[in-house]
Amino acid sequence: MTKPVELPQGALEMLILKAVSLGPLHGYGILLRIQQISGERLEILQGSFYTAIYRLERQRWIEGEWGESENNRRARFYSLTAAGKRQLKAETAKWVDMAAVVAGILNTKADEV
Amino acid sequence: MSLFSAIRNRWRHLAPRTPSDVEEEFRSTLEAYQQDLIRQGFPEEEARRKACVDLGPAAAQNEKYRDAIGLRPFDELGGDIRYGLRALRRNPGFAAVAVLSLTLGIGATTAMFSLIYAVLLHPFPYAGADRIMNPAIVNEQHPDEPQWFPLNKAQFDVMRLAAPVDSLLGFNDSHMEITGGGLPEAVYGVYLTENAGSFFNVRPILGRNIEPSDAENGGHAVVVLNYRFWQRHFSGDPHVIGQTLEIDHATYTIVGVMPRSFAFNDTTGTGDVYLPSSLMRSIANVPYMAYIPWIKLRPHVTLVAANSALEPIVRQFAKEDPTRFPDHWHLALQPIIVPYRQQTGRTLTLLLAGVVLLLIIGCANCSILLLARGRTRQHELAIRSAIGASRWRIVRQLLVEAVVISCTGAILGVAASYWLARLPLLLSPDSFPAESVIRINAPILAFSVTLALLCGVLFGLVPALRLSRKDSARMLPGRQLGVVAVPGKHRWSALIAAQVALTLLLMATAGTAIRSFLRLTQMPLGYDPNNVMSLGIMLHVHDPGDWGRRIQSHDVRAAYIEQIRASIASVAGVSTVAVGTNATPPYTGAVEDSFNIDGNSNREQPQARVMLVSQQYFAALHIPVVQGRIWNVDENLRGDFIAVVNRAFAARYLSSSNALGRQLRIPDLTTWGRFTVTSTQSTSWRQIIGIVGDARNDGVDRSVVPAIYLPYTTVMLPYVQFLVRTQRDPLTYLHSIRAAIASVASDQEVSNGASPLSEAIERDTQYSRQRLFSVLFGVFSAIALALALVGIFSIVAYRVAQRTTEFGVRLALGAPRAHVLWVAARIALVSVAAGIVLGLACDSFLGAILAHWMQNAFAAGNLFIAAALFALSALLACLLPARHAITVPPAVALHYE
Repeated sequence: MTKPVELPQGALEMLILKAVSLGPLHGYGILLRIQQISGERLEILQGSFYTAIYRLERQRWIEGEWGESENNRRARFYSLTAAGKRQLKAETAKWVDMAAVVAGILNTKADEV
Repeated sequence: MSLFSAIRNRWRHLAPRTPSDVEEEFRSTLEAYQQDLIRQGFPEEEARRKACVDLGPAAAQNEKYRDAIGLRPFDELGGDIRYGLRALRRNPGFAAVAVLSLTLGIGATTAMFSLIYAVLLHPFPYAGADRIMNPAIVNEQHPDEPQWFPLNKAQFDVMRLAAPVDSLLGFNDSHMEITGGGLPEAVYGVYLTENAGSFFNVRPILGRNIEPSDAENGGHAVVVLNYRFWQRHFSGDPHVIGQTLEIDHATYTIVGVMPRSFAFNDTTGTGDVYLPSSLMRSIANVPYMAYIPWIKLRPHVTLVAANSALEPIVRQFAKEDPTRFPDHWHLALQPIIVPYRQQTGRTLTLLLAGVVLLLIIGCANCSILLLARGRTRQHELAIRSAIGASRWRIVRQLLVEAVVISCTGAILGVAASYWLARLPLLLSPDSFPAESVIRINAPILAFSVTLALLCGVLFGLVPALRLSRKDSARMLPGRQLGVVAVPGKHRWSALIAAQVALTLLLMATAGTAIRSFLRLTQMPLGYDPNNVMSLGIMLHVHDPGDWGRRIQSHDVRAAYIEQIRASIASVAGVSTVAVGTNATPPYTGAVEDSFNIDGNSNREQPQARVMLVSQQYFAALHIPVVQGRIWNVDENLRGDFIAVVNRAFAARYLSSSNALGRQLRIPDLTTWGRFTVTSTQSTSWRQIIGIVGDARNDGVDRSVVPAIYLPYTTVMLPYVQFLVRTQRDPLTYLHSIRAAIASVASDQEVSNGASPLSEAIERDTQYSRQRLFSVLFGVFSAIALALALVGIFSIVAYRVAQRTTEFGVRLALGAPRAHVLWVAARIALVSVAAGIVLGLACDSFLGAILAHWMQNAFAAGNLFIAAALFALSALLACLLPARHAITVPPAVALHYE
């Protein structure tokens, strides 16, 4: 089994946006999808998970709607709003940029300094 | 429809989700997770446990949700408020005293503010009221008595076109009579130039105001009603528009009713009916049309600029008609609010200072109570602090509790202020503009809410900071066991001292006010107002028939007046009846007239009040004859060649040796208005045949001005005023007097204004102002005294309760009861004593300022009486609760807590 990764600040929100961008999901579904995409490498802190969802909903990046789940139970499904799409795009670009910069620094060899 | 759904949509996005919604979602997740776990092979019970452990309790989810969306501070605040309310309910005695302290303070302050708002800030309903000016002429020899000047039609048109003038209103008043009904009724008419509607821009409650079209064809016969007149005469009939009203035998169509706040005008008196001024010429047929002007300046024109622009124009008027202007004068536009601001502004400032003092005393009281109660709450606060509440959190909680108290006080206070604000209007009606309507409105509510918050923070802060100190944590383990000698420093000692000092200040002010009012009531008037009433009648000068023509004759009118006078005098119980048309004290309506006196070469024209009376006047009012004699019946009928003056006149204008026999003449006696009948020689020389004592003629508190008394037949106005001296309360004779008048002429009306002279004194501005001061400051200081005593009482009661064990030990060890009583009473007595000393020092410093503001001497004697009174009651307030310390049996006291 691979080692679990701890998430930096703000990353959980981005992951939720990404998970929801693929199609409407209820809370537990989001949880499962993140774990699935990450290959079970991410241990999401249960407590902060819903806090993140509430915050995203408040910011109107995602939108909740009551519906029927796979096993015929009422569940609240979240989907990405237009503002959420923009946010995801911007955040992704930022993360890629930052990752590149950090990776670039870390990969620097001694004689290149 | 679409708007509603838009609002609903928007709200759905903005409003937080309901707790059940949040919880249901969480439960569905919980269940899904649990199902997953069962599928993975967990036994059902184990799966449920693990799901709960991993995801957390469902009940707390809503709290998490509200925290996430940033509502937590509000939830905490709500909790604090609920806690504060509960704390108040738990302690009803404390709550009642605290809330009452603030209710009185906030109520009084709000009332005073709404009064100031109504009277000084927004008294007039007119559009652009702050730009409306009364043009006044300031005589440089008597600069404190501005004069108004009327304009004729041509001058009015010149003034209207002047550069700084936005619009110009002209008005003129007239005593009129409603005819055509059963009994004739006197009304006060005001003619307005036809631009009145746009000048005032006040929406009538019915119909319309006077409009420019009313000037067409020499003026339409239309009339606009004053609100009070509409109520009185038409009982507020909503269908009055279009009906007709007969005034002075001419028919007018009613076109409008003005709202209650419209009580034009303040210069000559509030009109009952308003008429287009073009009618003055066509109906009244006066050769000389006079307009009293009100100028509305253009926006942003300063007073100085307007004065300098208009002065040359008025100088030109003065050149055309020099007799109406003094020798040296300048123009001074006066905003219409100024007369009230001068009279009332100072009164209100002083009263406001009084209520603010009261409010501060109330706040201090609450602070003291909170501090005293705080000692019993230290245990609770220590626990809060021990389980992790920050100091800020505790301060916030205590402040919220204080604000809860102050807001409760404010709600009750605003309700109370609704009535409180009416008190000054009731006590001193003539000091305030008739237009000012007191009502609770947005600015006033904002004021009181701000005040309440401010008070809460003000009185809550000291206790909050003190009680939230970290060292109070050490109180936790021990509670207050044993005989703990109390720490020496008490914030509330200083508060009590301050409160006592302020209360003393209020008491001394009240003492001064009451004393000066008493002095005013005891001042010699120079006449005897008891059992005398004044009674007016209007002569039917407008009667289109035979009588209307005959009454214009001098002899017929004089005979008619004398006939009515004699008829009133024949009523049983009436001792003397006199005619005194413009001579009703203490503020006679007579205007200053200039006169010439023989052998006086002085360039300056001497002035005196000319009063038209009958020879019985002096007997009726008990005014003594100092020198010479009063005229007799024949001289009274003729009216000419004689005069009587008062002492002030003799002192100012006559050398003492040969006063009697000097000659004087009053050249203006012919030009007095229309429907006036004068004697043949009214302006010729008159011999002074007598000097009478000074009777107040310029208000009860002002010195008597020089006066000339003439027989009333010299100038007869269209109305007559009788002064009737009776044996008992004059109003009880009113019915028989009316009957006596009717026996002379059945259609002769009697004006509504029959009133005893003692009432006229009560209506006097200075008199009612002084009475207002004494009543209000008396009430203020009584409230302040009560508050301060309650504060002292509760502090001693609290401390004695806390120290019950200590007192038990003292008694058990054999301390004399008197000593224990003294120890208990000492808790507050020291600070009371300090407060009294402080108050005395303060008062003697403030005395001079106060004396200036109240226009009265500030007597030091009041202060010591107040201090002694206070000391006595404070001693009682200390001893009563202190007695508890010695009445508890030692055995009970030792086991206390």
